[in-house]
Amino acid sequence: MAHCERASKPLLQCLRNTYSRSVAGVQLQTRAFQSTASVREPEAETPSQPFHKAPDPSLVTSPRLERRLLRQGTAPIGSRRRRAALQDSENLPFEQLPYQCFQEARKILLADREQKLKEIEVMRQRLARQEALTDQESGGAKAKKSRVTAMQLHLERLKVLADINDPAVKRKFEDNEGDMSKPIYRFLADRKWREYRRKILVQRITQMNVVPDVLPHCDPVVDTKLYFGKRQVQAGEFVDAKLSTSAPKLDVQIFEGGEKLVTIAVVDPDVPNVENNNFDYKTHFLAVNVPISATSTKVDLAQLLEDSQVVLPWLPPVAQKGSPYHRLSLFIMEQKDSQPLDFAAFKAKENNRDNTLLRTLQSRYHLKAIGAHLFRTQWDDTTLEVMKEIGFDNANVELRRKRVEPLPYKRRNPSSFR
Amino acid sequence: MFKPRVLTPLRALERAFTPTIRSTPTQSQSLLRTLSATSTFPKTTPTPSLSRTLLPFTQVRHASHASQGTANQHSRDPAGKRLGAKRSGGEYVVTGCIIFRQRGSLWFPGENCGMGRDHTIYATQSGYVRYYLDPLKHSKRRYIGVVFDKDEQLPHPRNAPSRRKLNMTPVPMAEGVEAQSDLVASVDENGVHVTDAEAVKAESGPQLRPGYMFREANWEIGRAAEKAGITAMPHDRGNRWLAWRKRQQRAERAAQLKSLKGKKKASKK
Repeated sequence: MAHCERASKPLLQCLRNTYSRSVAGVQLQTRAFQSTASVREPEAETPSQPFHKAPDPSLVTSPRLERRLLRQGTAPIGSRRRRAALQDSENLPFEQLPYQCFQEARKILLADREQKLKEIEVMRQRLARQEALTDQESGGAKAKKSRVTAMQLHLERLKVLADINDPAVKRKFEDNEGDMSKPIYRFLADRKWREYRRKILVQRITQMNVVPDVLPHCDPVVDTKLYFGKRQVQAGEFVDAKLSTSAPKLDVQIFEGGEKLVTIAVVDPDVPNVENNNFDYKTHFLAVNVPISATSTKVDLAQLLEDSQVVLPWLPPVAQKGSPYHRLSLFIMEQKDSQPLDFAAFKAKENNRDNTLLRTLQSRYHLKAIGAHLFRTQWDDTTLEVMKEIGFDNANVELRRKRVEPLPYKRRNPSSFR
Repeated sequence: MFKPRVLTPLRALERAFTPTIRSTPTQSQSLLRTLSATSTFPKTTPTPSLSRTLLPFTQVRHASHASQGTANQHSRDPAGKRLGAKRSGGEYVVTGCIIFRQRGSLWFPGENCGMGRDHTIYATQSGYVRYYLDPLKHSKRRYIGVVFDKDEQLPHPRNAPSRRKLNMTPVPMAEGVEAQSDLVASVDENGVHVTDAEAVKAESGPQLRPGYMFREANWEIGRAAEKAGITAMPHDRGNRWLAWRKRQQRAERAAQLKSLKGKKKASKK
């Protein structure tokens, strides 16, 4: 708290002084245009309530108050440094900040935005013309399709470029107020996800060998978060058996426009098979035709429709005592052209938990993995209880390592010894 | 290229002077001889003086120095460390079997292999040894791996699911606390009889322990706090006040011990 306040103090003092000294006459005028209310005003209205009793999410800087706010369910806005700066600021609208250089720079940015908007208009018209053409006129269906997709990509790019330099957009995104139906906020969210969270996810699924074991290849393009109850589970975390008895909730954020239909599967590739001395696969959950879009991200696996979506309902994962940990890998797979699969046929065919390989499903129904997540289970204090609850066969059997018989002693090449 | 052109005038000069030069040495030698005979100057030739100015500190190692130390040269040669391959490619190994001993990581552990503290490569599964390169994993490293089938090749394709073995047996789970017994000795006219005390359910209180005492078993004493429901306060990193108090106490105790130590020494003296 103290650091950021100290850091922002000189700037703020400078700002206040210049403002009051040089633009004192203009102050009232600018105030009149101001759209947002001054921060100081509500405080003045309620002097009876001290700040620490009712902290303002846009002004709070102490970690303790921040934590209290978070517990109440409101996240403090932006960064702590920004909130500290807001405490002392006049709360001027961004466009009216009294810096000449700043205003000149804004002019350039605004001109650039105007140009981009014109380009977008031109591109839209060209795209419409191209789409209106018949296949013969544009030289074959394939050529037309490639041209149209290239144009659409360029249009999306222009839409992002028009807004990317807007400080108000940046601020809104940082305050988590971005509207995900707009391309610019999707672009910013995607970039932020790729900077850290996606790297962690890819590292986990490759280091724990989920990717060659369950699926041959996966390039995650959607951000997936997994919750058991209220608790968020990081990729690869160990989850207690008791906690995972009920189906998890997902938060699937896609960064493209439009709605997609996806198949969601949870597969355990580590079921011990004592007879064959190797490991089996088990499907713990399978659902098809789940709609997701950039704005509707929440998927509760327990709330999906029994008669049109859930093929295999949630089976609580348990690990036998002594067995190596189980990796429960969750895959979100895009259905081809976002077309719904035939639920009845799917359910009739894929009703076996044990003998369904995700690789087979992928090739059979032309699915494409776009998201992944992972958690692990091992034997813990609550496992036995859960095993009895779900009627696990070998609840009272534990696995022990087989003794390794040493090789018989063999004198190697005795003639060379003295 | 320069040589002929530069040398031609020199050669011409040489040709012009040769007769005189050829004639001179005898004269000069005789002249020198007369000089040395007449004067007390030390006889100096121009060449040695030149070499002395150019290389003033040339060291000379005489035979007496060079010969020293050769007699013990062989004893400095250390014993061989028996490094190298202990199991060749295709040979059967069991879990824990050492495959390669090395200094530094000349070879890296591949499939089903591990690397020890001294870079020794050992098998973590029973199977057949393979020495191989895996350019997709690392362009330069050489790997040692173990495969389960005799005709299996390494490296596996990138997308293939990994081949694993369970190597475990199912055992009925042990339930509750097992009865524990102790040795008891009884003396009568026939001699000393050492027998097992009857197995007592360990939770049933004190029993005869070695050393002829009735008390609870050690493991039970260790669990006394747990049974009584006493729990230690969970450690809180943020509680700096408690941390400070503990640190103070430790420092005080250390100071006390230190002072005692000093007194002891003083009394001895």
